Amino acid sequence: MEKLSVEEVKHIAHLARIFLTDEEIEKYRVSLAKLFEMIDEIHQIKGYDEEIMICPWQSDSSLREDKVGKMLTEEEVLKNAPCKNGRFIEVPVMLNE
Amino acid sequence: MSKYLDLSVLEIHRLYQEKKLTPKVLLEEVFERIEKRKSLNCFITLNKEEAMKEALRLENEEVGGILWGIPIALKDNIVTKDLRTTCASKMLENFIPIYDATVVQKIKDEGLLIVGKVNMDEFAMGSTSETSYFKAPKNPWNEEYITGGSSGGSAACVAARITPLALGSDTGGSIRQPASYTGLVGMKPTYGRVSRYGLVAFASSLDQIGPMTRNVFENAALLNVIAGRDEKDLTSAVQEKEDFTRLIGKDIHTLKIGIPSYWISDVVTQEVKEVFNHVIELLKEEGNQVEIVDISYLEQAVPLYQIIAMAEASSNLARFDGIRYGYRTLEAENVDMLYEKTRSEGFGEEVKRRIMVGSSLLSSEKAKIYYDKALSIRKDMRKSFLDCFSQYDLLLAPTTTSAAYKLGTSLSDPLKSFMDDVLVIPVNMAGLPSLNLPAGFNQDHLPIGIQIIAAPFEEAKIYQLASFLEKKLNLDLEGGHIDE
Repeated sequence: MEKLSVEEVKHIAHLARIFLTDEEIEKYRVSLAKLFEMIDEIHQIKGYDEEIMICPWQSDSSLREDKVGKMLTEEEVLKNAPCKNGRFIEVPVMLNE
Repeated sequence: MSKYLDLSVLEIHRLYQEKKLTPKVLLEEVFERIEKRKSLNCFITLNKEEAMKEALRLENEEVGGILWGIPIALKDNIVTKDLRTTCASKMLENFIPIYDATVVQKIKDEGLLIVGKVNMDEFAMGSTSETSYFKAPKNPWNEEYITGGSSGGSAACVAARITPLALGSDTGGSIRQPASYTGLVGMKPTYGRVSRYGLVAFASSLDQIGPMTRNVFENAALLNVIAGRDEKDLTSAVQEKEDFTRLIGKDIHTLKIGIPSYWISDVVTQEVKEVFNHVIELLKEEGNQVEIVDISYLEQAVPLYQIIAMAEASSNLARFDGIRYGYRTLEAENVDMLYEKTRSEGFGEEVKRRIMVGSSLLSSEKAKIYYDKALSIRKDMRKSFLDCFSQYDLLLAPTTTSAAYKLGTSLSDPLKSFMDDVLVIPVNMAGLPSLNLPAGFNQDHLPIGIQIIAAPFEEAKIYQLASFLEKKLNLDLEGGHIDE
């Protein structure tokens, strides 16, 4: 089994928006390669019907009346925000970085 | 110390009706046992004060249904209003939900007592419960062994007779596999039978909440409470209300039962084969017809599952960004860094690995090569199962390839947690109901289970066969409970 390259692991981590330390990258080079090797076993499967199934069950009667129901209070919405200022959730500066 | 928790739910119910026991007294016994079995590490958060209040409130009420006043433990990925819900992750270490999951509302309405939130693999990703941020729970039959997972805390709690009932969730065997390792009855209902509203999503097209109990009747009784269409979950099915206990106790002599050939091949250890073969002999002796059948793609079930489960997980867990709720890094100078550092510090190793694999599989042209292909084969696999059910009443198979093994065995192998679930994963892929029934023991006297699988929405038929076998096998399953 080949290891993934450092660059490959960094690319995958970026897709997942996860920062990895150098030590973690080394670990994941091996374990991700093992997983991808196993996943590649599906290439052995030929001759299947190409129609897809996303979910085993989806109700037909999924529409409900369009009316206002119970809504969350401002306090409830903000309750678990890790960083807030008054009525607002704080995030780092996004413009003019 | 009283021992009401050694009684069946029906016996407790009778004592309630005769006014010889109160919910408060039973609950006090639960919390004594929690203290006594602390080393099992079952609980992440206790709900002692609220549960006591509820028990006292019930004392002013008429006794209700058979689960009225019965203590229950909830897997910590089922949200509970004002009660911490962590998914066994640092990411949600301080998360206090603002609403109840539909199943939680239903069990509250029925008068059950929520004792607390139990341990699990982080975000239900694992098969030993060792990926928990709060350290692994231990198997009550032998504390050096794994409980299985991901619903390991639920399994340990019921097997140790701390609570008679627990809820788990099953994405790729996470109810049935720990039930097998701890000698419990564990049901993964048909996909759509139970609302997923308020279950923190891992893989939305596979996840299902289900009951974990000491016997078949109590399992069916708990499914009666939690099943049903929910307008908050459009994947919950519209089905006529039914009593899942209705066929329990009826004899079985004319069933046609199929055994998928791959599931009794060399993937299974000899100790499991012996227990399974004994069950088959028993069914034949009673006049039932048992035949070997072939189901397509069982050999490739693990990689197919990995693709679908990890792709869905990467999408579902994208919501953890350090902004609206959950853990947030202290080291972010910009938004990109906020996302990346928060997720790096908040998720454990296994969760990060699965999110990365899923993100990779869904990126650009890979989505078609892997994800779309897996969805196509999944459809064929389901069709193969359904074709089988046109000829057979039920399918029977071992639940796990071996009995429980020692803690620490699988930590260095990222594939082992998937291979442990090779026999249980296909049922989730096909959306079928399946129940683990304790069927015997290995040489170390650790439990071994079998699974009974039915066509969609045929849970009552599963309970019928399970109760029949439970009576015939008549196993002594008290090994998880240490008496003083």
